[in-house]
Amino acid sequence: MSTKRGSVLRGTADLLILRTLELEPRHGVAIAERIEQLTRGEFSLGPGSLFPALHRLEQRGWLQGEWAETEEGRRARFYRLTPAGRAQLRREKSEWARVVAAMKHVLDG
Amino acid sequence: MAWLRWLRAWCRTTFRGRQLDADLDAELASALDELAARLRRRGLAPAEARRQARLAFGGVAQAKERTRDERVGIAFERVWANLGYAARTLKAAPAFSLAVVATCALVVGANTAIFSIVKELLLQPLPYRDPARLVFIWSDLAAAGYPRAPLAGPELADLRERATRLEALGAIWASTAQLTGGDDPEQLRIGWVTRNLFQVLGVDPAIGGHFRPEDEEPGAPPAILLSWDLWQRRFAADPAIVGCRIEVNGLSTLVTGVMPRGFRLWLPADASVPDDLQAWRPFGRDIALGPRGQQYLRVVGRLAAGASPADANAEVSAIGRAIGREFAEYGATPPVFSAVPLHGDTVRDVRQPLAAVFGGAALLLLLAGVNIANLFVARASARRQQFALRAALGAGRGRLLQQCLAEGLVLGMAGGAAGLAVAAFAVEGLLALRPDGLTRVSGRFDLAVLGFNAGLALVWSLVVSLAAFWTVAGREAAGEGLLRDAAPRIAGGLAESRLRGALVVCQIALGLVLVVAAGLLATTFVRLQHASLGFSTGSALTFRIAPSPGTYRTAAEINALQGALQDALAAHPAIDAVGAVSHLPFDSLPNWSTPYAPLDADPTAPPRDADARTVTPGYFAAIGAALVEGRDFTSGDDEGARRVAIVDHRLAERAWPGQPAIGRLLRADPGASGTADAVVAVVGVVRHLRHRRPDEEVREQIYFPQRQVRRSPLAFVVKTRHRPEAAAAVKAAVARLDPRLPVYDMRPLDAYFARATSVRRFTAVLGAAFSATALVLAAVGVYGVLAYAVARRRREIAIRLAVGARASAILALVVREAALLGAAGLALGVAGAMAAARLLQSQLYEVGPYDAWTYAAAGGMLALSIALAAAGPAVRAARVPALDALRS
Repeated sequence: MSTKRGSVLRGTADLLILRTLELEPRHGVAIAERIEQLTRGEFSLGPGSLFPALHRLEQRGWLQGEWAETEEGRRARFYRLTPAGRAQLRREKSEWARVVAAMKHVLDG
Repeated sequence: MAWLRWLRAWCRTTFRGRQLDADLDAELASALDELAARLRRRGLAPAEARRQARLAFGGVAQAKERTRDERVGIAFERVWANLGYAARTLKAAPAFSLAVVATCALVVGANTAIFSIVKELLLQPLPYRDPARLVFIWSDLAAAGYPRAPLAGPELADLRERATRLEALGAIWASTAQLTGGDDPEQLRIGWVTRNLFQVLGVDPAIGGHFRPEDEEPGAPPAILLSWDLWQRRFAADPAIVGCRIEVNGLSTLVTGVMPRGFRLWLPADASVPDDLQAWRPFGRDIALGPRGQQYLRVVGRLAAGASPADANAEVSAIGRAIGREFAEYGATPPVFSAVPLHGDTVRDVRQPLAAVFGGAALLLLLAGVNIANLFVARASARRQQFALRAALGAGRGRLLQQCLAEGLVLGMAGGAAGLAVAAFAVEGLLALRPDGLTRVSGRFDLAVLGFNAGLALVWSLVVSLAAFWTVAGREAAGEGLLRDAAPRIAGGLAESRLRGALVVCQIALGLVLVVAAGLLATTFVRLQHASLGFSTGSALTFRIAPSPGTYRTAAEINALQGALQDALAAHPAIDAVGAVSHLPFDSLPNWSTPYAPLDADPTAPPRDADARTVTPGYFAAIGAALVEGRDFTSGDDEGARRVAIVDHRLAERAWPGQPAIGRLLRADPGASGTADAVVAVVGVVRHLRHRRPDEEVREQIYFPQRQVRRSPLAFVVKTRHRPEAAAAVKAAVARLDPRLPVYDMRPLDAYFARATSVRRFTAVLGAAFSATALVLAAVGVYGVLAYAVARRRREIAIRLAVGARASAILALVVREAALLGAAGLALGVAGAMAAARLLQSQLYEVGPYDAWTYAAAGGMLALSIALAAAGPAVRAARVPALDALRS
């Protein structure tokens, strides 16, 4: 994953992807754009990281990919969260919250 | 559930990779389109938007590759890809690949073949129920010259009564009988058995049942169990035969059953029970009542629950000591019984030769492995530049190792598969040699053999490919850059050529070990062919006749028939001499022996045992045995006349050392009653005949005249210079005497001798094949190293020539290198060969394990093959044009 902050946040890509799909299915480019928006440009997933991650998550059964048409009528592969993916997102969210709290404690304390 | 999903994903990767790839291509293309569309929406011109999108996207190929990497089970795909690449690379080097595959096929095949035989014979249990619990009982009559002797009837009864560590004991005595009734009577090889023998072995008849207790009662009506083959051939596989009566030896006999197809009695070879008996009959008399001196029973026991063979052995020897005290017949020599595991005793004679052959095959494998490793190293160094390039382009050590392994695997597996075919041929060929001890081998390959083959090929390919990898990539670790090393050089790669030299030295040494061993075995075989047997096999033709008891009822009638036949044959011009004997040399009839004692000897001394044979006048002349004293039997030595015997020179020397034996009297047991109760006069002395084993003198021998001691069947021996003519004469003479009399087993005496030496021929032939292969492999190895060295030093040689070196000096340079390799290899090899020869010692006959001639000849052969291998590279070196130095 290429991030502007280096590789400290490796492994966060999965969480970010799952999060962007929480509300609605999206295709690859939309996912990347959404992540960039949500993180205010702090994270950007290039295709070299995005597509491997998507396929990995799909193989784990967290995402389900299917071909559909975009608003402009182009065919694209849309990913949507499966129930297992939703459960995973919940797990990762709480995990992340714990890490953040711990780090905050260390840094502020 | 997780593993199910994993499995589904794996299946998709493996079986639907193409569709996944297409899908991925489409997805990436659509993403690129999408990106460009978004850029257009921000106002960029379509072409520019496309360019920017490409830039932002980065490498499509990389993204694709990385996505593929995420797939479950992609590692398998990688392996296939590597193997495919290896196969393509190897196809581009067909000579190299073919050489490796052929070598691998040859040695893996040889090893597989021999393993399959070893497995069937030595590892696989006998085809009986719970065979590990079967033991064979021997009686040690060493004092009488008979260390592995059968038991007497009362001894079996004693063991049955007293042994607690053996739950059952059965016995057999092989003999012959005539299948009479019907038009053509047939001589059968039968076994007289105790009723329970097959139950002890745990084999039930396929049709009908075991003998019943009443079949064993003295005076019971005769009963018989048929072998499957006899039932098929003689009784047209008619199941209704069971319960019917057939005529055996002129008596109506009840068929109680048919033994299963392929059932054979696997007993120790020296138990003299042929494994292809055609029928079995219960003794029909109380065997416990016989004399204790009449030893004829081959006894098989089944261990009681919880007893070990050692327990049984201790118990039977204790019983032997006890009955030795209880029964006066034994005098001062109590019987010495032993119980040995049946399987081990059965393969006793072939275990050593097989171990030797297996060892030879393993050496060959090693030798070929060295050769292939050498080839791989040579090829790897030639491809160093290719490897260096790949390394420079980012292929890690792992990738290079993978490639080496893949190449080794492709070659090894191809070689292993081809080796299986080689093995199938080899086993067929080996069985065609038909060594006596190998009759149990079916030659079928089962999973264990296939596994052995695959395992061997696998290990082999791993070793050679690692050797190759180590020489090329391993150097990287030593700080020697691959690219730099690949640059042209004059005397580089020293370490590597040293390694190759060392490998070749090992090869020569292994080659010498094999050639010496084969030489010793071959010498043994040749010496055996010229062993002084006491008779000559070359010009003798043998046959048997089976006078039917229905037609020839009295001894006089049979004597008349035999006499008339012998006279008719003796008169034929193609026949030089003719005689008949109860036991042909090396035939499979049970041995017949008699206790004997000189009449003038100390009466308390235990009698010794001698091999007994019945002969007709002329037998000794017919087999070319030398009469050293006295006379041959004549037709006058018949029933009414004084009882006479001819003894061998060993008996004469032992009984009457330094004195003439003619006219002396002996007590002996011509009637096989168990005690030496007849007095016979010695009328002649012949040289000892090695009629049981060609490589050793067995016991003393006594010959009785057929007219006084009748035995059946008699085998005739005809001495002739024209075998076909003699064979025709025999048939004509028999037909004239009695057109219904069958002549069978007509074969040269050589055939019996060949059978007796078949195991040695087997090891000698294999040894020769192995050592020929070893010579070729060693020569190829030397050639490879020298040719490579010359090619590598071409520039150096050219410079030397340019500055005035003579071609002969260059020649000497190469020859010296070959000589050094050869000398080191041979020195090492002599040490190895001496160690190997010590292990072979028991297989050798009239040749010592350190026989100087054999070593010299083997060394000479290797030196010659090294010289031949060196000639090409040496000449090529001397012909290097000096101009080369300037060109390169």
